[in-house]
Amino acid sequence: MRLPAKEKWLWLVPLIAVLLLWEFIAGYVIRDPLTLPRFSTVIFSIYILRELVIPDILTSLLHFGIGLALAFAVALPLAIGMGWFRNVFKAIDPIIEILRPIPPLAWIPVAILWIGLTHSAAGFIIFIGAFFPILIDSYTGFRDVPKILLETGKVLGCIGNKKLIKYVAFPYALPSIATGTRVGMGVGWMCVVAAEMFGVGNYGLGFRLFQKFYFLHQMDYVIAYMLILGLVALCVDRVFRYFVEEKLLKWKKGIVK
Amino acid sequence: MNHKLELRNLSKTFSIEEGEMMALEDVSIEVKPAEFLCIIGPSGCGKTTLLRMVAGLDHPSSGGIILDGKEVKGPSPDRGMVFQEFSLFPWLTVLKNVEFGLEIKRVGDKARREIAERYIELVGLRGFENCYQYELSGGMKQRVAIARALVTEPSILLMDEPFGSVDAQTRNILQEELLRIWKRTKKTILFVTHSVDEAVYLSDRVAVMSARPGCLVKCLDIDIPRPRKRTSVEVNEFRGELLMLISLERSKVCISV
Repeated sequence: MRLPAKEKWLWLVPLIAVLLLWEFIAGYVIRDPLTLPRFSTVIFSIYILRELVIPDILTSLLHFGIGLALAFAVALPLAIGMGWFRNVFKAIDPIIEILRPIPPLAWIPVAILWIGLTHSAAGFIIFIGAFFPILIDSYTGFRDVPKILLETGKVLGCIGNKKLIKYVAFPYALPSIATGTRVGMGVGWMCVVAAEMFGVGNYGLGFRLFQKFYFLHQMDYVIAYMLILGLVALCVDRVFRYFVEEKLLKWKKGIVK
Repeated sequence: MNHKLELRNLSKTFSIEEGEMMALEDVSIEVKPAEFLCIIGPSGCGKTTLLRMVAGLDHPSSGGIILDGKEVKGPSPDRGMVFQEFSLFPWLTVLKNVEFGLEIKRVGDKARREIAERYIELVGLRGFENCYQYELSGGMKQRVAIARALVTEPSILLMDEPFGSVDAQTRNILQEELLRIWKRTKKTILFVTHSVDEAVYLSDRVAVMSARPGCLVKCLDIDIPRPRKRTSVEVNEFRGELLMLISLERSKVCISV
């Protein structure tokens, strides 16, 4: 998308305004760094913590990667089954709907007992968070393939479920799978703090935030890590959108602007 | 016994809430090789059902369909089909759409491309190979659909009101193009339409069907030499006869309703 320069930098204005407002309120209204540290203090904290930040980000991304990969690997085949075969949907849907409302946090004891205090246990919590959005959006995609496209596939030689899924349903469902994955990534990332809260290692953004800074009442460090959590997620989402929306789903351009 | 396609005592009943509905009753038609046959009738006369059965997308309740001496059992690329609705795969470019049937048949990349290019040229879409569906007009989409249906060299081309959703001027152009393609490929064409003008302009023979349950009322040979003039006296005579037959059929429905 090509925008005029003015529009391209529009986001910068409110961002700077919010940061200035924060600096002002923290410095002149609240005046208590334990309640709200100033933005400049937080930035300085990031500088102080620079040795920790990178390994913490990498560890969190490892947990995130384990969880997301697992969620995708389980959700996609299940979504094909549930979206394509009505009986599979009818059989499995109640189980899914019982499990879905259970918050990822509630799974922490299970994760510890089943898997122990390992990276995989943190990955498991993230898996729980990311799994359902990916599953539900994806099976919707497989379920809603227009009849006309399926029939076109049939008359052009796609005989049998396997070929119809491969050549017609899967490409049709791809945008839904992408949407589900994007939402799942968001939810999964939100679970990172919870997943690392119970101490699966000595690194990780959530681990550091909850196990170290919070107990020491280092609010400037806490907020610094909150900002980093947000920024990393933003980068991950941007990279995902770049590859998926610009490359893979070019044909969607005319449909959703 | 040199019939290309033989419909033998074809009947079709659908089960609906109130019991059974007879859509088609005892229809028998023989189509000669390279013949252009139009099927026409009031809406709801089962002409689309008839075509879908030849395509293998619906199954006759009784009777048989014999194409090239073999009974039709299910969909197959030896019968090309063009639907009324736009049916291009939106995730594929024009070229890939046309190649689709060949890809399913596992024709090699190079040969596939060559054949597809030939048919794209035939339907006059050279230069649009890399366009997606959203970049094409309605008439262009149907041209692609025709090329895509022809690419596997089907022994018959089935067309279900293919020009029903394009504007009147484009429709005239597409009709002329279709005649040109028919002449060059020497395909047998079974063409369903509700337009008397279209039937008289295009076909060698018109099969008129009655309203529900659809049965064959009359087969009319259109023995006007081509190129035909849409406004000539002979064309008008045939139009008059067909219009009369159809309005007679339609009036029967009104009475029965």
